[in-house]
Amino acid sequence: MIIVNNVHKRYQTPHGAGRWILKGVNISIPSKVSVGLVGRNGAGKSTLLNLIGGIDAPTRGTVERRCRVSWPMGYGGGLQGSLTGRQNAKFVSRLHGFDSPHAMAEKISYIQDFAELGSSFDEPVRTYSSGMKSRLQFGLSLAFDFDVYISDEATSAGDASFKKKASDAFQRIADRSGLIMVSHSDGTLRQFCQAGIWLHEGQAHWFDDIEDALKNYKDSISK
Amino acid sequence: MDSAPSSGEITAPRSSLSVTFAVWNALFLREAVARLSATRGAWVLIVLEPVLHAGLMLFLYTVLRTRSVAGADVSVWLVLGLTGYFTVQNTFQRAMGAVDANKALFAYRQVRPIDTVIVRAGLEAVLGLLILIVLLGILAFLGHSVIPDSPMEAMLAYIGLMLCALGVGFILSVLSDLIPEAGNLMMFLFRPLYFLSGAIFPLSVIPVQYREWAFYNPFAHGLELLRSSFFPVYHAAPEANFKYLFWFGVVSIFFGLALQVRFARNLRAQ
Repeated sequence: MIIVNNVHKRYQTPHGAGRWILKGVNISIPSKVSVGLVGRNGAGKSTLLNLIGGIDAPTRGTVERRCRVSWPMGYGGGLQGSLTGRQNAKFVSRLHGFDSPHAMAEKISYIQDFAELGSSFDEPVRTYSSGMKSRLQFGLSLAFDFDVYISDEATSAGDASFKKKASDAFQRIADRSGLIMVSHSDGTLRQFCQAGIWLHEGQAHWFDDIEDALKNYKDSISK
Repeated sequence: MDSAPSSGEITAPRSSLSVTFAVWNALFLREAVARLSATRGAWVLIVLEPVLHAGLMLFLYTVLRTRSVAGADVSVWLVLGLTGYFTVQNTFQRAMGAVDANKALFAYRQVRPIDTVIVRAGLEAVLGLLILIVLLGILAFLGHSVIPDSPMEAMLAYIGLMLCALGVGFILSVLSDLIPEAGNLMMFLFRPLYFLSGAIFPLSVIPVQYREWAFYNPFAHGLELLRSSFFPVYHAAPEANFKYLFWFGVVSIFFGLALQVRFARNLRAQ
């Protein structure tokens, strides 16, 4: 269960405090449900994901995580360019408490198998293409067990074979754990999500059916 | 490999302390690898730079001037001053850049801005100690006496120096992140510390009425104490004392931590 309680968020800009992006979001997300987050550009989808993922703090209000929540997948960050894929994988394993040689070796080999980077796994990440980066990031987040995974457009990168693999993995996550995802593709949302959250004018609206969320979203932009 | 590996799952929630230690462990190894393999032979340069610097100063001192400074062996005296000073400088300079350099890693909520500063300072303290041991080892090989007269005081002086550098690093890292121009300005203002800390000349030569000003600088205390701990006969400036060094360290760390807590959210922002 993730409880978002009266969350307000605005960012600091070079010209002082920016506009309010989230204005009093109240929402409870159960752990084993797949939720799609929809809303127009700048509605605050990524902002809300970052707040849920705990990598940013709300300006007002609280976010309670009563389960294990992943870091935002496909976030783009989380990889250090000067280090190799393997070194990055080791870093994340240590961070999550897998620092015994056996446990770490298991995580590393899982990540290595999933990412299928071949010898590039031992090259610095800054030499990777964007597709290769997202393979590694995807492998990293799948190697650890969470109750809820959060994904910010994580499915969009990669070639055809990787897309297939990523979508299979997402399906498994959706079956086994909770998933909160942002995607601009209706197909992806319909494929993986049951429920939906529509972000509109700083407010979040919960729908038990993703179709209803998509419908409200479509209506709001066609006006 | 259809599902995530089953053994070693994340089960019971870890205590805050164990999460912090896991983060420090991971960050320390990451920083060490990045620092020592940034470019080809980076680790050679890390040792070579102070060797060359000390070598040049030593040449100027011994060939052109004198063989003893205030009763101390000039080569050991210079190595202590230069290595000590550069370790301090590296510590607060790299601590200052720590938050910015690690922004990508804040994607993992376990990593807090302050962790990156602490880990970088810790790494520099370890590297500085290793470099000091290597340099003193070279001098010992050349027949100098390099065993500290009072090892306890030598350790305390080094620890005191590092605490002050950490405190200054905490403050600078917040300052330079909130106001980048202030960071640049501070680096500019800190340049004279090389001279004012007595890295290459004994502070005891400063006339008494001005010396008390020089000893507002904690690093002057630290370096002078480090040196006097090594030599049985050394005319240290009488102003140098452990009390000031450690008080400065404690107060600056306290103030720095307060800033880190107050501005944690701003530091984390992308």
